[in-house]
Amino acid sequence: MDNNADLVVRTEHLTKHFGKLVAVDDLSLEVRKGEIFGFLGPNGAGKSTTVGMMLGLVAPTSGKVEIFGLDTQLHLPQILKRVGAMTESIGFYPYLSGENNLNYIARITGGISSTRIEKVLDLVELSGREKDKFSTYSLGMKQRLAIACSLLSDPEFIVLDEPTNGLDPAGVKEIRELIIKLGHEGKTIFLNSHLLHEVEQICERVAIIQHGKMITQGPVKDLMKKGDLLQLQVTEPEKAMAVLNNLDWIRSIVREDDKLFIDVNAERYAQISAVLAREDIFITEMRAKDNTLEDFFLEITEERTN
Amino acid sequence: MIDMIRAELFKLRKRSMTWILLIILATFFCLMFFATYGIISSPPDGMHGVAIDEIKASLQFPGVFNTIFSTAGTIGTLLMIILGASSIGNEYGWGSIRQVLTRRGIRYHFVISKLVSLIIVAFIGLLISVVIGSILALITSNLLGSVNWDSITASLIREQLANFGWTLFALLPYILMATFFAFLGRSAIAGIGGGLGFYFIESIAVSLLGQAGGWLSKIPDYLIGPNVTAIMPPSPFSQGMLPSAGTSLSTLHATLTLTVYCIVFLTASLYMFKKRDITA
Ligand SMILES: Nc1ncnc2c1ncn2[C@@H]1O[C@H](COP(=O)(O)OP(=O)(O)OP(=O)(O)O)[C@@H](O)[C@H]1O
Ligand SMILES: [Mg+2]
Repeated sequence: MDNNADLVVRTEHLTKHFGKLVAVDDLSLEVRKGEIFGFLGPNGAGKSTTVGMMLGLVAPTSGKVEIFGLDTQLHLPQILKRVGAMTESIGFYPYLSGENNLNYIARITGGISSTRIEKVLDLVELSGREKDKFSTYSLGMKQRLAIACSLLSDPEFIVLDEPTNGLDPAGVKEIRELIIKLGHEGKTIFLNSHLLHEVEQICERVAIIQHGKMITQGPVKDLMKKGDLLQLQVTEPEKAMAVLNNLDWIRSIVREDDKLFIDVNAERYAQISAVLAREDIFITEMRAKDNTLEDFFLEITEERTN
Repeated sequence: MIDMIRAELFKLRKRSMTWILLIILATFFCLMFFATYGIISSPPDGMHGVAIDEIKASLQFPGVFNTIFSTAGTIGTLLMIILGASSIGNEYGWGSIRQVLTRRGIRYHFVISKLVSLIIVAFIGLLISVVIGSILALITSNLLGSVNWDSITASLIREQLANFGWTLFALLPYILMATFFAFLGRSAIAGIGGGLGFYFIESIAVSLLGQAGGWLSKIPDYLIGPNVTAIMPPSPFSQGMLPSAGTSLSTLHATLTLTVYCIVFLTASLYMFKKRDITA
């Protein structure tokens, strides 16, 4: 498929078990060249584990990740040359200055000039504090240094795991603008976040995961559009999915445990219950909703905190 | 790989721990020389003249080289366990290991560059020990009479170069063990605890097993400490005391045994590091 040439990331049935816990469950997602891709999910959903597998830090239990069309398990060094990453808990050497931390990374990466180091420090507004020890940095400054570090080699593909963690509102805004700017420069960006509005403002496409499973993926515009979303709770969700998927007037169905979220016009509601009843599937709850992504996301995140 | 080793040395150079350990090394040498000098300048009653002469010789050229290497070997082992374990373990503690691994993607580069840089530091530490020891020997020699320059011959220097090599080699098993424990426990504490713990428990075990009979008394021949003793220049202070374990082992036996330890610890570290996930 010539379509594949445009893919920066492709995961195929990606699965990771930690003992009995399934952190990532049969995840298949695609990130296209030049897009800002949001990977959204509540705490513990499996976002960082997925990023870990993309960067070769975590070995998949099954399935695979391809980046630039190359399998990460086989071609990691080549892949990483073209990737800049900021992992979740940022790690630098406390006894080195911010600048020397970048110096060190530049040394092990190769091909990075000192002017580039100055430039990325400037980009995240750490100039002036670059000679101070990392251990004296505030949380936000540490976060900025990590972002600077991910940009060091001017990579084509940038992975950011919750980059705005711990930043103040002004900092969040700056970073958001920086990410958008990088997107305009043609970089492909994979952004992990548990903040819907962040993803909504920055990303073109988004995938939502919960309990390691992909719940939905698509263009943010489609997912955010106001529309009639029907929430159904049924006796046999699996069977109901299969039945409803055959109906061409249903635009999309997303399943979350025994709940189905159906994108369909309101005048069809009665018809849905009739179709299901014919198959001996009964509706235990039926609710019309209006804002898809936000309610949906709140729902899954609330469910988790409850 | 070379750039990684250089980057590693850059970090070690910038790290205050390296310098603190070096100061400890220098201080230890000074204390040892002056304390020993103190003993012989006013020897306790009943100390044999032979013993006094032996100790005097250990502070002057050429005998002082044995003092230097055995001292550097002992204190060096402890310091390198601390430095080696910290160098690996702190990467986990600070999370910097992810930064490194997401740059290179070849895990054994990380392990090898760490170890090579530690060996380079051990080499430099040993060199510094020789310099400090020689300076101290010049001082004590002058205090005890004068420097016997005639004793410094080409063959003596050759011999000391070999001793230098053996001492460096003797540090290896413990460096590799400490780094192995640091990898195992993913922390500096695990490496220091494992390394120092092994070192001290082993020395107790060696003396206990040495008193036992039968096959039990053979066990020390296959532990690290006695084999290190076998390849190191004799310590001036062990003479006149009970023969310590290991003095009867052949150099070949010791070299092979220590090499096996090195290979086992290295292989285990490499394998474990390659297999394990790096999560938060
Ligand atoms: N090394 C590990 N051993 C066992 N379980 C782990 C390990 N790492 C992660 N997990 C578990 O895997 C699940 C997914 O974790 P992950 O860090 O990927 O979530 P996340 O989506 O990044 O969450 P957050 O928003 O809090 O960062 C969690 O339940 C977590 O407890
Ligand atoms: Mg996370």
